[in-house]
Amino acid sequence: MTDNIYCDVAIVGAGPAGIGAAVALDKAGIKDVVVFEREPRAGGIPRHIHHPTFGLLVFKRPMAGPRFIEKILARCQDVRFEFETSVMGIKPDGVLEIVGPEGIKTVRARHIILATGAREKPRHPRLVSGLRPQGIMTTGTLQKLVYGENLTPFERPVIVGSELVSFSALATLRSAGAKAVAMIEQNPRITAYRPAIGFSALMGTPIHYNSKIVDIGGKDQVEFVSLDGPKGKRRIDCDGVIFSGDFVGETALTRTSHLANDGVSQLPLVDANWVSSDENISVIGNCVHPADMGDQCYLEGLEAGAHVGEKLGETSGANKGAFISISHDTRIKMLAPGALRMKSGQSVRLDISLHVLSPFTGRIVVLQDGEVIYKEYQRCQPARRIVLRGVKFQQAGFEQESSPLPVIEVKLG
Amino acid sequence: MSQPDWDVIVIGGGVVGCAIVRRFALGGAKTLLLERGSDILSGASKANSAILHTGFDAPPGSIEVKCMQAGYEEYLKIHQRFNLPILRTGALVVAWNEEQLNALPGIVAQAHQNGVTDVEIITQSALRAREPELSPEALGAALVPGEMVIDPWSSPLAYLTQGKLAGAEARFFSEVIGGKFDGNGWDLQTNNGRISGKVVINCTGNQGDIVEKICQQPDFEIRPRKGQFLVYDKSAAGLINGIILPVPSNITKGVVLTKTIFGNLLLGPTAEEQENRDEARVSEEKLVELIETGTKMLPGLKDHGVTATYAGLRPATRFKDYQIAANGEKNWVGVNGIRSTGLTGALGIAAYVEKLCHENFENLGVRFDDSGRDVKWPHMPMLAQDQTRPYQSGDGSEIVCHCESVTKGEIERALTSDIPATSLGGLRRRTRVMMGRCNGFYCSANVAKITKGRLDIPLGRERKS
Repeated sequence: MTDNIYCDVAIVGAGPAGIGAAVALDKAGIKDVVVFEREPRAGGIPRHIHHPTFGLLVFKRPMAGPRFIEKILARCQDVRFEFETSVMGIKPDGVLEIVGPEGIKTVRARHIILATGAREKPRHPRLVSGLRPQGIMTTGTLQKLVYGENLTPFERPVIVGSELVSFSALATLRSAGAKAVAMIEQNPRITAYRPAIGFSALMGTPIHYNSKIVDIGGKDQVEFVSLDGPKGKRRIDCDGVIFSGDFVGETALTRTSHLANDGVSQLPLVDANWVSSDENISVIGNCVHPADMGDQCYLEGLEAGAHVGEKLGETSGANKGAFISISHDTRIKMLAPGALRMKSGQSVRLDISLHVLSPFTGRIVVLQDGEVIYKEYQRCQPARRIVLRGVKFQQAGFEQESSPLPVIEVKLG
Repeated sequence: MSQPDWDVIVIGGGVVGCAIVRRFALGGAKTLLLERGSDILSGASKANSAILHTGFDAPPGSIEVKCMQAGYEEYLKIHQRFNLPILRTGALVVAWNEEQLNALPGIVAQAHQNGVTDVEIITQSALRAREPELSPEALGAALVPGEMVIDPWSSPLAYLTQGKLAGAEARFFSEVIGGKFDGNGWDLQTNNGRISGKVVINCTGNQGDIVEKICQQPDFEIRPRKGQFLVYDKSAAGLINGIILPVPSNITKGVVLTKTIFGNLLLGPTAEEQENRDEARVSEEKLVELIETGTKMLPGLKDHGVTATYAGLRPATRFKDYQIAANGEKNWVGVNGIRSTGLTGALGIAAYVEKLCHENFENLGVRFDDSGRDVKWPHMPMLAQDQTRPYQSGDGSEIVCHCESVTKGEIERALTSDIPATSLGGLRRRTRVMMGRCNGFYCSANVAKITKGRLDIPLGRERKS
């Protein structure tokens, strides 16, 4: 007795990207749009970030996360949201398996937009040595505890990482009446832009460079961490460890689906219009490029939603061409887009953005069937978006089944 | 001493202690469990590979193989009444070189000697057909159809819960620090007072030889052996169809690849001797080595993420066999050196201990019987991935933990069950909450709200204004 839900577009995730897509579809006159969200409210991560790092691109002025969400939600008041609803599986032909307050249901949509977001890499996948006492979490968890439940999990933790979100953790601790005793960065400089150092200095939190945690100790709660750094091993007494940054896409759904994934990052591959290897499924926002700011995700949602709106308006359902994945160097964390759609005999020009895993200075090269089609000298830092502008893919003939698709590759150096 | 307070005092709430409490409580004995941790499974039983073994490779004629096989039989007989899952996977003992290939016939012969007669050698092509994702370097294997995967946490909890429903009591944060036998019974000294009992059963795992000294000088010494494990994301579970076991050797310790009942893939353990009996640290270096070893066997692992890392301590001694013995003069049974087969052996060990008690102690008056109509069978929460979970059958509450699909109702029930969760670890083991790939990112705050004022150590304190 499974109920079905039929709709034009099903959006999974009501964060900035999902809301952006909903706004664009609403504007395009697509009436039957449903947004599925596992939390009881819309907004996603920004709801838990109470400092003013939102709104600059969209509203030309800074605002806190909850305010930003309120303002973008006001732009899609007619869209239907289904809260406390989890999507358990995606299938071809626009099918979603969901479980919500009324039990298990099947959704059939003409198009699906996945906007499941990103989260920081937590302790275990980082393979950090030590015991497992309480008080080890990511910034995101801390923010949910502090801003969502008014709880403080510790008084004097250490913060691992120095991305923008790591400094966000400092601010969150401050508003919780706690203070970080150290920031720990494995590189010789912070990952965020340099002025952020001023903020940690103001908070009285020293930054340990070229250092990593080699032990976490404590029986019930964290009692100390051991660092290995330029001055050898040292112990820092603390009562918590915050693992910040190193965002990973929330790809549990795509990993177990029929969608094509990147061979290195395992993130879903999308073309320049955020359409995946399945023409009826788009993947947008931080689950394809962990992680950009809320404003960027919202704007991307607008574009991707508009594209889906146009596609649904078309009557022919014309073939958009072959889906060609772009392979890359393992030193590249991810490419966006990681694929392109190209018809036989047609050339395509597009921008490709990428993130590196560790600092790199040198030439970035794009190859098509072994031939250099783009090269540029770049200075790359991790967690920064590098854009290769106007990469022109040459026309190739692959109409016959016997002629293979072009092989495209991005290389460093 | 006047009449002792208890007939039987079991020290140590690991899987073995829980099974023994069940056995004696159902046998009509007034039974007490003393556990120094905040919950059952606080020591060696916390970390194992969750396999129900047939005993095919145990030393023939040993107490271990006897207990394992009795435990295996009894588990299969009773698991459904407890609502405990099993995953009938079978296992392959895989040979990776000529030497190991040559060892396979010996393994089959030993299995047959142990009565596990369905063990057979399969060819390389049959191996490929069963496990197509294994590295082509796998040369051949012995198939052990009877090995299976179980829930390592719900099972002991079921044993103790049934014991409690039959009148047993469990006391936590209760460490036994000394004791005297007066010819009639034991007067045990604990960190919170004295407790007397007719018979004492020592099941303290890594503390076994220390606790044994309360009664007698043990002729074994516990040498904790650390095992580190990696749990891979559920996306990796499909890479194997069953359990992949190493060919045992005296030189190299192989590792196991297995599905878990919760839908993950488990890789481990390492084997590292250490002095410390209480702390099991994971080390990045060993985990990286483990990943390399695992990826060599199963190349597809490289595309999958790690969900969790953990380490446990096995109470090894210089002996291969279990060290189980009754002191007939002092009403004491030592159940020691249960290295790594305790989960399989527990129910069999309990039966063996009961038999030792009958042989050595008079007037205990215990007769185990689980067939009576008044025997209560607690219905355990179903945590197996391949079975219907509460979110699917509809327990009327929302999902709190999305990685592991845990509902609010499941958390509430774990907090109010017969042996309730009083710590975050206990709650995690009873429900799987916060055990998934996001390591609690999504649900921690919600769990903090639900458990407010109900855990020994809260997830957070009220924030200063």
